[in-house]
Amino acid sequence: MEKYYKKWFKVLIIPALVLFVVVILVPFIMGLTYSFTAWRGSYFKGSEHWWGALVGITNYLKVFRSEKFLSALAYTLKFTVVAVVMKNLVSLALALMVKNVDKGKGLFRTIYFFPNLLGGLAMGFVWSLIFQNIFSTVLFGGDSPIQIPFLCDMLQDPNKAVFAMAIMATWQSAGYMLLIYLNGLNNISEDLYEAAAIDGATAWQRFRYITLPMLMPSFTIVFFLTLSSSFKVLDENLALTNGNFGTRMLSLQILLSTRESTPANYGMAQAQAVIFFVIIAVISIAQVMITKRKEIEA
Amino acid sequence: MKESMSTKNKISRIILYVLLGLAAIYTLFPIYFLFANSFKSQKEIVASPMNLPANWDFQYLKNAAEQINLLPSVTNTLIITVVSVALIVLVSSFTAWLMVRHKSKGSQVLFLVFTAAMLIPFQSVMYPLVSLMESLGLKNTVGLILMYGGFGLSMTIFLYHGFIKSVPVSLEEAAVIDGANIFQVFFKVVFPMVKPITVTAIITNAMWIWNDYLLPFLIIGNNRNKTLTLSLYYAKSLSGQYGNPWELIFPAVLICAIPILVVFVFLQRYIIEGMAAGAVKG
Repeated sequence: MEKYYKKWFKVLIIPALVLFVVVILVPFIMGLTYSFTAWRGSYFKGSEHWWGALVGITNYLKVFRSEKFLSALAYTLKFTVVAVVMKNLVSLALALMVKNVDKGKGLFRTIYFFPNLLGGLAMGFVWSLIFQNIFSTVLFGGDSPIQIPFLCDMLQDPNKAVFAMAIMATWQSAGYMLLIYLNGLNNISEDLYEAAAIDGATAWQRFRYITLPMLMPSFTIVFFLTLSSSFKVLDENLALTNGNFGTRMLSLQILLSTRESTPANYGMAQAQAVIFFVIIAVISIAQVMITKRKEIEA
Repeated sequence: MKESMSTKNKISRIILYVLLGLAAIYTLFPIYFLFANSFKSQKEIVASPMNLPANWDFQYLKNAAEQINLLPSVTNTLIITVVSVALIVLVSSFTAWLMVRHKSKGSQVLFLVFTAAMLIPFQSVMYPLVSLMESLGLKNTVGLILMYGGFGLSMTIFLYHGFIKSVPVSLEEAAVIDGANIFQVFFKVVFPMVKPITVTAIITNAMWIWNDYLLPFLIIGNNRNKTLTLSLYYAKSLSGQYGNPWELIFPAVLICAIPILVVFVFLQRYIIEGMAAGAVKG
């Protein structure tokens, strides 16, 4: 059989390989290379070929001196922290609650999951009116008995907008994260809780010393998913604030970068794209390694 | 003592249901909001956004359908989604299967490379990708499908790979001995067994492609063959220079959401189970 598979492996792997090389590998290498050139999108400045337009690390130096890039980077980090914490807390809390009811489990799961399927951009338009109108005039401002200025006009202030975008992102993805946590919770043996109850452990102790450590594998998955999706967020940014009022994040910055220079400086945009990749790769790898270690310790 | 315990239990259960119920209302509110405001005039939306429409006026839906070029947009999106997903599922399952069965260094390295590619965000390669596709004459629907195929590959191969590892090889051996060719082995023996992952793969990829905005934006732009989300984006940005035209946006968003809603209502069981399965395996 080994020989049989080997024979076919070489032939039938070709479609995947071709797709991978054309769509990911070649553009990736092109991107790395072009980030060191004076690339203008459809041509190279002063040359027919990229090797004639090499400019060393000029693009990177420009990027690190660019006010817009640095502010987008800082703002993305800020959003990522808020969104990851919010998504995890909400989905874990919901998972713990859903786990403890006997009736309606399936219904709750289904309802919470549904927003996940809707388009981020499309629902972002809906949420922008919710923040502008419902939050600001009906619920937490205007003549409402509950006055919470922080939840009013959230989209016009960078500090509030972080939370507005995180609220929408949480609304959209918490139901999916909940499924992962719920799976983890269902895998914890009831015996552990019974033994702990006999030993007189309080509810908090049971949560801290049984649930949390046993949930570590689920944490790894959820952290990995929320971290990278938050860092790469585009839809919420585009639909809710369009990057105005100092709320532009990296994905949007890379997209807009080429439109804000004449002639369009694709070399510099690509340098930002490469930095973007490096940050995401480092965060993701570090995060998986750390949580894996925690898993073993626990 | 016993009685007080059970009352305490009852109360905590009620609190639990109330909290879950509130969370459910909160989750569904934007959808109600979307629905209610799709039948109102701009004035009514701004004046009473929370209420159901005073009278159900379908003219806004009709207008939105025209603005986003409904029929061509839906057809386009449908074709792109279905063909891309079919491509991803077929190529990924086949490749993952052979990668699991053929355990050479080369196959392991290849799997590692495919998996590592999940770390590459789309934004990091989009500019060179578009330029490459343009030079290959693929800055069109066909190119779009190939690109989705490429980007969906890593994650989907990863999913199948994890699953196929636990599928015993003996049935395949039996089929080969019976004279089945490699395609028969795959489609008659392997493919039916990996159905749970196929469901997951179809759902995740279909939702992503159906709702995607960035790739069609870069490849198609403001062209005739726009996808649904892209039409929505252009309808909004072109008419929204003087404030937001809510009476257009809401019905347009509703139109984009309805197909998803319908699919979800019919397939919710498979979707939830498929997503949960994929999350555990992933």
